[in-house]
Amino acid sequence: MLSRDRIGQFVAVLLGTVLVTTFLLLLTSGRPRVPDRFEGFAAVVAAPAAENRPDEFAEPVPWSAEAVRTLTARIRAVPGVSGVAVDREFYAQPVRDGRPVAGSIRGYAWHGTNPPGPGEVVTARELGFPAGASITVLTGAGPVQWRVTGHTDLPGLHVSERVAAGLAPGVRALGISGDPEPAALAAAVGTAGTVLTGDERGRAEPRADARVRWIGMQVLSATAAVAGFACVFLVASASAHQVNQRRREIGMLRAIGATPRQVRSMLHRSALLLGVQAAVAGVLLGSLSALLLAPRLVRAGLEPAGYAVRWQPWVLAAAFAAGPLVALAGTAVAARRVSRIGALEALRVAEMEQTAMSRARWAAGLLAAALAVAAGVAAAASTDLSDLGTYALFGAMALIAAAALLAPAVVPALVRIFLAPFSGIIATLARESARTAVRRTAATAAPVLFTVAFAVFVTGTVQTSAAAYDARRSAAVPAETVLVPDGTPGLHDAVAGRAPLDTTVYVAGSAVMAIGADEVPAGTALASEQAAARYGPAVTVTFADGTTSSLRVTGIAPPGPFAADLVLSRDTVRGHDPSALAPAAYPAPPAPAGTSPAPSSPVGAHLTPSSPAGAYLTPPGPAGAYPAQPGPAGLGARHATPADMARQADADDDRLIATFTMLLLAVSAGAGGLAVANTLLMTTRYRRPDYRVLRRAGATRRQVLQAVSLETTLAVAIGSLLGGGAGLLAIAGSARSLAAQVGQAVPVLISWPVAAATVLACLALALGAALPPAAK
Amino acid sequence: MAALNGVSTRFAEGTFTAVMGPSGSGKSTLLHCAAGLEPVTTGSVTIAGTRLGDLDETALTRLRRDRVGFVFQDFNLVSSLTAAQNVALPARLAGRRADQERVVAALTEVGLADRAGHRPRELSGGQQQRVAIARALFSRPDVLFADEPTGALDRGTSHQILTLLRALVDRHGRTVVMVTHDPVAAAVADRVVLLVDGRITDELTGVDAAGVADRMTSLERAC
Repeated sequence: MLSRDRIGQFVAVLLGTVLVTTFLLLLTSGRPRVPDRFEGFAAVVAAPAAENRPDEFAEPVPWSAEAVRTLTARIRAVPGVSGVAVDREFYAQPVRDGRPVAGSIRGYAWHGTNPPGPGEVVTARELGFPAGASITVLTGAGPVQWRVTGHTDLPGLHVSERVAAGLAPGVRALGISGDPEPAALAAAVGTAGTVLTGDERGRAEPRADARVRWIGMQVLSATAAVAGFACVFLVASASAHQVNQRRREIGMLRAIGATPRQVRSMLHRSALLLGVQAAVAGVLLGSLSALLLAPRLVRAGLEPAGYAVRWQPWVLAAAFAAGPLVALAGTAVAARRVSRIGALEALRVAEMEQTAMSRARWAAGLLAAALAVAAGVAAAASTDLSDLGTYALFGAMALIAAAALLAPAVVPALVRIFLAPFSGIIATLARESARTAVRRTAATAAPVLFTVAFAVFVTGTVQTSAAAYDARRSAAVPAETVLVPDGTPGLHDAVAGRAPLDTTVYVAGSAVMAIGADEVPAGTALASEQAAARYGPAVTVTFADGTTSSLRVTGIAPPGPFAADLVLSRDTVRGHDPSALAPAAYPAPPAPAGTSPAPSSPVGAHLTPSSPAGAYLTPPGPAGAYPAQPGPAGLGARHATPADMARQADADDDRLIATFTMLLLAVSAGAGGLAVANTLLMTTRYRRPDYRVLRRAGATRRQVLQAVSLETTLAVAIGSLLGGGAGLLAIAGSARSLAAQVGQAVPVLISWPVAAATVLACLALALGAALPPAAK
Repeated sequence: MAALNGVSTRFAEGTFTAVMGPSGSGKSTLLHCAAGLEPVTTGSVTIAGTRLGDLDETALTRLRRDRVGFVFQDFNLVSSLTAAQNVALPARLAGRRADQERVVAALTEVGLADRAGHRPRELSGGQQQRVAIARALFSRPDVLFADEPTGALDRGTSHQILTLLRALVDRHGRTVVMVTHDPVAAAVADRVVLLVDGRITDELTGVDAAGVADRMTSLERAC
């Protein structure tokens, strides 16, 4: 059974191991999953990957109908191939009760038995449409009516090959049935694509899933980093603290003849033993919490459907080893010092305060501070946002560690400052006690510092970034009312009218964001400033249907709210990409769903009229050109203000960021809060003799409680101040880096309610842990 | 089994009483009860006319603070406070002002005027005990209880402390009750109360250390 002395250390190791196990498991569980519709194929031939950066998640360069025909013929000739299915994927979102069904936006070509005829559809069973029902389905061109003829376990809607070919003329995958030799297959395909077999077929997963996984991986690596940091921080400080608290016992051991070496090895052995016991429980609890969290991550959109915990032995081994090793390290540092104390010296004074700052502590603290500065410099110099995030997080951790290590150097000054307004014996007791036992005060303040710093940093940074993006997006929209997607990924033609379309084209094998706008004549293109320099007078473009044509670059695209390298003719885009959707329309088109396209050109005016390059782009008509109240928005669209639109555009990201924030905050504040209570319970237990002395000197119970409350509050205040400072410094750094990237000032915003709530929660926990032992 | 049984005694003002007895005889319990640190189950304790049994915990604390001084074997100084702060502590806890002159005077009385700014760990055992005595006397208590005040000290330092206590009674008219197991210490007192198994078995006055030791030895043989 554990002695009460060691429960604090046990709790710290347990908590640290649970955190590390949970997030390391979740982090390493993400991997590509073979899409359900490819499960039945022996091999999948994927179209050549786009030559973009991997974190852009570009879809592969599609094959044209002609390319598919020749490729299919070549594959059919390979021995063992019994069939080649052409995979087609397009936008098709069913409508139920007048609302587009969220989460079902894909249509596919049906390759099973009983193919549906024209105007017929096989639906995913989970959608719950009865057979024979006529359902409304949104496509790029607008709503269509299809009759349900069957159900499938595959997700989405499935139509005949012929209908699918009309909606998705470009092909990115072929499913191969039979039993061909992979090498023979690869030889037949050549450079036209990639042959994927077995688990490799997972590489044909939707790029959107890959992107979600990537986001999830970033979120989870940040969380795992914080969890690991919390583990090291809490376990090391609890272990060191525990050894320091046991000085008296250690002095007694020395007095009865234990050598320093024996004392050390006893402490090391007990730390390891306890660490192992706690780690066993921690790994079990952590595995359980990973199992519980995994489906939640899918629901929160941080992992794609089908994500589940994968048990990798090395992860469990690493999580198991972390706790005991950190406990040993924390113990060893403190044991080295304690074991050298003379026997009688340790016995005589229960609370022998060592010097506030040892040389090693200075060195470690300054090293952490230097790392924080280096991370700040790296963040400022980083060129992409995810690097910036990583450096910022790393910098924040280094800063927190530095603050915790260097705290004893400033504790006496802070104690004097905080208690300056108070006089009287209670304040004197609290002040002298906190000042003479500087390390104890710093150890009590450390978990508060950790908790508050992360709360300020995590919530503060997010607000900072959100403000930056909002400013950038809404600045670019010149209209009063805009039409935005409502439950759909974009606006279809029936509601968007002639609003510009988003599409992806391929230039020299790289995916390029393009816009189809009415102002641009067919056969020509406007290029963004950087792109124009690259392309020259003409650019050869492969469209979504796999066909290629050469376009004349006639000018520079004016800046707009939606990033695109090329602006093409809307009709050209629609002709090649039947599933292209408009991100928004403004000013909002006056016509409700299904009417003829808007008669005049202003619809395309997202290209800022004030732009000098936009001379040929007709500016929007006077305000009176449209009815003051636009008509009904139509299926899958709603009216909004430009600010709303900026927000809607960011809504998904914001939701992810909010989830991310909650996750980080829960991990750091949860661990920190428990550590606050744990440290104080450990400390207060050893302070009972102090309280007895006070009572014997004539203090009433109330006065003792007041003194303890004041000293505890003081420690929490010191932790909050240092933690808040470290958090603010970390945000200020990332705000500056961000400002350099987005090219405008980024105000530092702190979520004061969260910071205040964190401080109060720490205070409540601290008092709850410190007062009961003092009341006895 | 009761620690004390049928003990009835008075400690007159301006006298120095020593309580002696073998280990477990109940001498510390007697002192704690007399000082109001422990409640008595039957009977009563009265200090300068106040019956302790009638007081609640807060009133008892207040009485101990104002009218009783207590000196412990292990000093019981607050380690984070200086000697001067420790001396002023009970008075300040009682909500009274403790002016520096009086604190210095109290420390001077125990011969530690030059140590006012030192913390307990910077003082020797004898010095710490003298600070504890100065603290106990600071609020001018009706009675000073000392529980083995020399128990943790060497012979020379013990002698200083005992001389100090004797002087407090002789020169300042204080009342001192001291528990001890040391015949040399007991011999300094005006009266020695001998306690065995929770009962007062004998009282000696005007004896020297040898006389006290003889009496103790015969008592222990009788048991």
